[in-house]
Amino acid sequence: MSKRGEKTVSMKDRFLVRLLGNERWQAITIPVFAILLSLIAAAIVILLVGKNPLTAFQSLMQGSGLWPKASYAAKKSMLTDFMSFLDLMTPMLFAALAVAVAFKAGLFNIGVSGQMLCAGFAATAAVGYLEIPGVVAKPLVVLIGIVVGALVGGLIGFLKYRFNINEVVSSIMLNYIAQYVISFLIYTNYVDPVSRQSRYVLASARLTLADTEIGGLKMNIPLGFILALIAVAAVKFLMDKTRLGYELKTVGANSKAARYAGINVKKSIVASMMISGCLAGLAGVTYYLGYYASIGPRTLASTGFDAIAVSLLGNSNPVGILFSSFLITAITKGSTYMSSTVGVPQEIASVVTGLILLFSACGAYIQYMVKRSKDRMTEAQAEQHNGKEVDG
Amino acid sequence: MDTVIIDGLSFALPLFIIAIGGIYSERSGITNLALEGLLGVGAFFGALVVALTAGNFAADSQVPFYLAMIFSVLGGALYAMLHGLLCIKFKANQVISGVVINILAMALTSFLTSQINAAVLGKPSNKFQLGVSSRFTVPVLSDIPVLGAVFTDVYPFEVVIILVTVLAWYVLYRTRYGMRLRACGENPHAVDAAGADVAKIRFSAVMISGALSGLGGICFAYSISANFSPNIYVGFGYLSIAALIFGNWRIMPTLGACLLFGFARSGGYKIAQILALPSTFSDLIMTLPYVLTLLLLVFFSKSNRAPRALGEIYDKGKR
Repeated sequence: MSKRGEKTVSMKDRFLVRLLGNERWQAITIPVFAILLSLIAAAIVILLVGKNPLTAFQSLMQGSGLWPKASYAAKKSMLTDFMSFLDLMTPMLFAALAVAVAFKAGLFNIGVSGQMLCAGFAATAAVGYLEIPGVVAKPLVVLIGIVVGALVGGLIGFLKYRFNINEVVSSIMLNYIAQYVISFLIYTNYVDPVSRQSRYVLASARLTLADTEIGGLKMNIPLGFILALIAVAAVKFLMDKTRLGYELKTVGANSKAARYAGINVKKSIVASMMISGCLAGLAGVTYYLGYYASIGPRTLASTGFDAIAVSLLGNSNPVGILFSSFLITAITKGSTYMSSTVGVPQEIASVVTGLILLFSACGAYIQYMVKRSKDRMTEAQAEQHNGKEVDG
Repeated sequence: MDTVIIDGLSFALPLFIIAIGGIYSERSGITNLALEGLLGVGAFFGALVVALTAGNFAADSQVPFYLAMIFSVLGGALYAMLHGLLCIKFKANQVISGVVINILAMALTSFLTSQINAAVLGKPSNKFQLGVSSRFTVPVLSDIPVLGAVFTDVYPFEVVIILVTVLAWYVLYRTRYGMRLRACGENPHAVDAAGADVAKIRFSAVMISGALSGLGGICFAYSISANFSPNIYVGFGYLSIAALIFGNWRIMPTLGACLLFGFARSGGYKIAQILALPSTFSDLIMTLPYVLTLLLLVFFSKSNRAPRALGEIYDKGKR
């Protein structure tokens, strides 16, 4: 450590400032830097297991359809893998947006998984087994997802607003209640005797067009993905351009100040939880009636919990979330292929994800270090300058 | 009635000790959503030591169990340092840090468990076998009607937990360290002005929360599942968080909340058994603790107040 007052500029300072010093780009450069650090850490882990990290990363991308495989089965190609990847990314994108909207308003929606399950089950039970044309069934599924999600999310907001019940506690309780009640309903009414899951929903109700032939390829087309992209734009618009979004952000930044400014804090709490619930509901229908076509009893999708971290990685910014959910889904999706081809244990993928999130959680610290290095450099420069003046 | 009390206590007490860990961390001003991960990593270390030393003890020996407890406490505290580092040194958002710690804990422990099983113990498996802890019955006291059940079929860890609880209560409410810790969660600047090191106190509080979570984790592993596997992550940590918020960040009310969870759970099973309900109904009965909690929260949440500085990154220069 250098003594106080002594302005030494180390190699590290120069390196950090040159690499990350531009404040305008820090929102991008710092997460990218964090991701690079974690990939290096992951490479070390893979080396320790005795595998080549480069082939491991390559097969990870191959599994997600981001890199061509050596050979493909009939009617399969990189595009079919990529479509299937988008299919899995859709619910993650919705769920991370759900977390972000609540987070901006200073609320922590840990109940995304429960809201997903409620919405997914309601849509499955109401529309999933109806013999109606797809043009009617699919919008109905989406609508039910939105409404049920908003109701469950709104309930959490209402409990906080009316009874001062901490949203973390009520969402955890609702997660459990939803999980068990829906498991009961599945076992009594909708169970498939072989798989012990809910029966597959009809193709007409599914938001993913499964095994559709296009140009000689058989692929799963995720219709929900288009919806998710619209949601990204809508959330961005809501947050940046509307009065409601401004109020939510103000409440999140400082609820006291918001109240003095005349914002109805309680209304904002309920509103943000309802919007968050809507998005979680959409995540639910694209998960249970999209990527999958059935519901496993007694389990919550881990998507809702992972989404918290994905949302963070994207800095709670809709566009950032688009990239972060892309990255995290690529790792999850590619890991199955990686473990089967390269023999790297599949659990490594979760370790990599964990490391990425760990390093990106330190983003604020990296920013702080860069600023300190920069200050040291400007001070050193000023001193040099002063010294010259004295000499002359 | 007896089984309701016996099973209720053996579920409530591990939950309670994890919640006390959470109280330490949160009263010092560090939000701790990482309890789930901390209890898992703690239990992992305990179970690992048992797996590695297996065969060195007699079949009915209780030594492995106590070894597991010690190493779970150490392992939990060690892993909690990561949360402390992130929140205190690296100024990370505490909620996010907690979630990241959980994700990493699940990933690392399941990865390491299968790797160690394959490489060191030479059998492909994703769990460490532990067996169930032995139980004991206190002779005279257990004959008291109804309340006697409290002294019947007691797991040794329940006694340990009660002893640790008394100690934890004393330290938090009756020592200078405890007072400063609580002050860190309300007004860290005052603590700083009084000449104490806020960062150090908070860091130690987070480590204590890890140690206690580890203890709770290994107790669950030794009673409910009889092994360590990734299946330990079923939300006990989140449930403890709910209990401590319900208990308004105070130790005794939190005990009440944990007992409520425990008895509602075991009571529900008992009712299902008496009514001879088909097994599908067990799912509905499982919701009992959570529905009850939500209802009670409606009445008791008015005065609920988190520590004032909870979740804020301490910045010396800010007033």
